[in-house]
Amino acid sequence: MRAPVAVLVAGLALAVGVPTAWAATRPGPAAGPPVASVLDTPSEGPSPAPAVTAHPAAPSAVAPRVAPVRLQLAGVDAPLDPVGVDPAGAMALPEDVDRVGWYRFGPAPGADEGTAVLAGHVDDAEQGLGALAPLREVEAGAEVRVTDAAGAVTRWQVVSRELIEKRALPLAALFQRTGPPRLVLLTCGGEFLPELRSYADNVVVVAEPGP
Amino acid sequence: MSRTRSTTLAAVAAGGLVLLAAPPAQAADTATVSVLHAVPGVPVDVYANGEELIPDFQPGTLTDEMSLPAGDYDLAIYPAGSDPASTTPAAKADDVTVPAGANATVVAHLTETGTPVLTPFVNDVSAVPAGQARVTVRHTAAAPAVDVRAGGTVVAPGLTNPEEATLTVPAGTISADVVLAGTSTVAIGPADLTLGEGTVTAVYAWGSADADYQLAVQTLSGMDSAPSAVPGGSGGLTGDGLPLPLVALSGAGLVAAALAGRRLLGTRA
Repeated sequence: MRAPVAVLVAGLALAVGVPTAWAATRPGPAAGPPVASVLDTPSEGPSPAPAVTAHPAAPSAVAPRVAPVRLQLAGVDAPLDPVGVDPAGAMALPEDVDRVGWYRFGPAPGADEGTAVLAGHVDDAEQGLGALAPLREVEAGAEVRVTDAAGAVTRWQVVSRELIEKRALPLAALFQRTGPPRLVLLTCGGEFLPELRSYADNVVVVAEPGP
Repeated sequence: MSRTRSTTLAAVAAGGLVLLAAPPAQAADTATVSVLHAVPGVPVDVYANGEELIPDFQPGTLTDEMSLPAGDYDLAIYPAGSDPASTTPAAKADDVTVPAGANATVVAHLTETGTPVLTPFVNDVSAVPAGQARVTVRHTAAAPAVDVRAGGTVVAPGLTNPEEATLTVPAGTISADVVLAGTSTVAIGPADLTLGEGTVTAVYAWGSADADYQLAVQTLSGMDSAPSAVPGGSGGLTGDGLPLPLVALSGAGLVAAALAGRRLLGTRA
């Protein structure tokens, strides 16, 4: 009579305990303060009365920018490709899930102002896990390094990670071209929706210039 | 021009601007205005409502964007250094309405027949879709109708002074030239124009047959849009569900508990 009671208790403990322990030991969906709060841009103070300045209006060549070529952080060491937008207006990402896209219309990492955006596929049905899959577990304080084509390295420190529903993604704030220099890393996460072959959320990591 | 005189002019200009500059709190009541000098050969002083706004303004130069109170302006240009009280303006435009929130470029240029005029153009600074650039071409030259071409293809046909045409195109560099309308007789260019993503580029054809024809370029930025979404995975390999081995373990516990429960009940019965 004692044995069945023990098995009953142990079985129930296992049935409930395993999922509970799994849930409790997973990295949380977020690290650091919410993304929206770290993306706030301090408003600029009153600007002084402008003096009228003029410059020659003849067409002039625009100096090409040095593109970032390599992204490194814990568990990630990926080559970067300059990317734009697809025909539907979404950010275009490298087909190869081992590569990460740099949004070339926005600032480059290391620019004086604005947010540089790097994004990649978290996985692909054929290719498997993507280079940015570890992004889902990055913690606040983690170091990020970006190397550009000239060999210059910029160092960043993660201040926030959050899982944000795709339709609620603060796109304008994430892609802002003015304001303090930031680095934003994006991939997919959250629940997988097989019927859409897509994830419900984006993993958003925000980093600021490191020490 | 002597140094003393330019200092005086600068002081007058600064005085005028203190009145014109509005604090950011009233941003809704201000407009953004730039001025382009596209009359060949003649430096001018630009006056707004009788106050000197820009002294000794050189042909082919463009001011940076100025924030001015919205309202009506009497604009005039005089040969540089002349006394406006005793000089006939080279060109003037009275009661030019500058609406709040507008972005305008006032261009001093020649008409088709070669008379100096002041033409206010309104710049379309609405948001540009991600990946695109807006380009506006303006005919401000002493010349008949022209076609504007990009990469050899006509993109703005039959433009007459002072008409404009606006296009939204993929961002990038284009080779632009201006031909006499309906011909392949190149009047200006070709010139490489960089159309930055999320920017507005105004291209002015200006000059005269005597002074040569040229292009002037004005770039306005800040009309950029974010992409509509960020895709990121199609594999379903990182789904947030409980991993299968753990599901099995949990299930095994449940089965064991059920069997034990049955045995308990069976013992009692």
